[in-house]
Amino acid sequence: MKLDVTVETNGAGVVKVAVEGTVNIHTSPRLRDALKPLFVNQNKEIHIRLSGVPFMDSSGIATLVEGLQWARQSGGRFTLYDLQDTVRDLFSLAKLDSVFDIAEGNIEEGA
Amino acid sequence: MVEFETLDLEQSQVGKLKFELICQRDCVHVLHSMVEVIALRAGLTDMETNRVALAVDELFANIADHGYGDTPGRVQFESKIHINDDGMKELHFMFRDYASIVDIQGWDCGNATQCSAADITPGGLGIQLIHSIMDVVEHVALDDGNQWTLIYICKQGTKGVGDEA
Repeated sequence: MKLDVTVETNGAGVVKVAVEGTVNIHTSPRLRDALKPLFVNQNKEIHIRLSGVPFMDSSGIATLVEGLQWARQSGGRFTLYDLQDTVRDLFSLAKLDSVFDIAEGNIEEGA
Repeated sequence: MVEFETLDLEQSQVGKLKFELICQRDCVHVLHSMVEVIALRAGLTDMETNRVALAVDELFANIADHGYGDTPGRVQFESKIHINDDGMKELHFMFRDYASIVDIQGWDCGNATQCSAADITPGGLGIQLIHSIMDVVEHVALDDGNQWTLIYICKQGTKGVGDEA
């Protein structure tokens, strides 16, 4: 099953990541491999666009938790945005919707 | 057209899906598709279907990771639509594995409330999700493995494929 992760950096420590595909026990290691190199002090903000993710399980959340931990340790910002309803529902079920920084809609439009 | 309410679902093959697989992580996609099919047949909404598929995926992931230690192992899966004594439609999902007996203590977290980022482990969170979605979560330790049952009670009036309008 395909999972695409596209990373864009602007040189000022702001990183935009677009994820496309199902994030589950099979594909989440690919997401982790893509995100882990980003969790460095040179980066100040990491924004994860999830509009292309129709389904995510707890292994996906656990992968994103590493981003939260990076933000807390480094003082950076780790944001999820453009979530589909099913993924937003997952964060609500897990009672993590208030733990993560989840922006409404497209963060580039002023979230 | 199938009318679930008038069928003897225990005897009929309508509303049932079953298969056996070698438990490996990529099989979760097959399982997920089958759960979506049975949920659609039962008439669940997209959101309900997503939740039910999530819970089943999480159980499978726990069997794969904790039961078989991410090595190939035999798993039998069966799902069915059942009408209970109150006339409510239920979705039943049964797993049978041949892994070592699971420590059931780790499954007793149905009352979990708020998580913090520091508390999150994939297994623990998955179990919390299963309990939050499913109405019944049962585990039976067998001599040669484990049997798991998840039951989701559909909302009253849920109309599935073939149900009377």
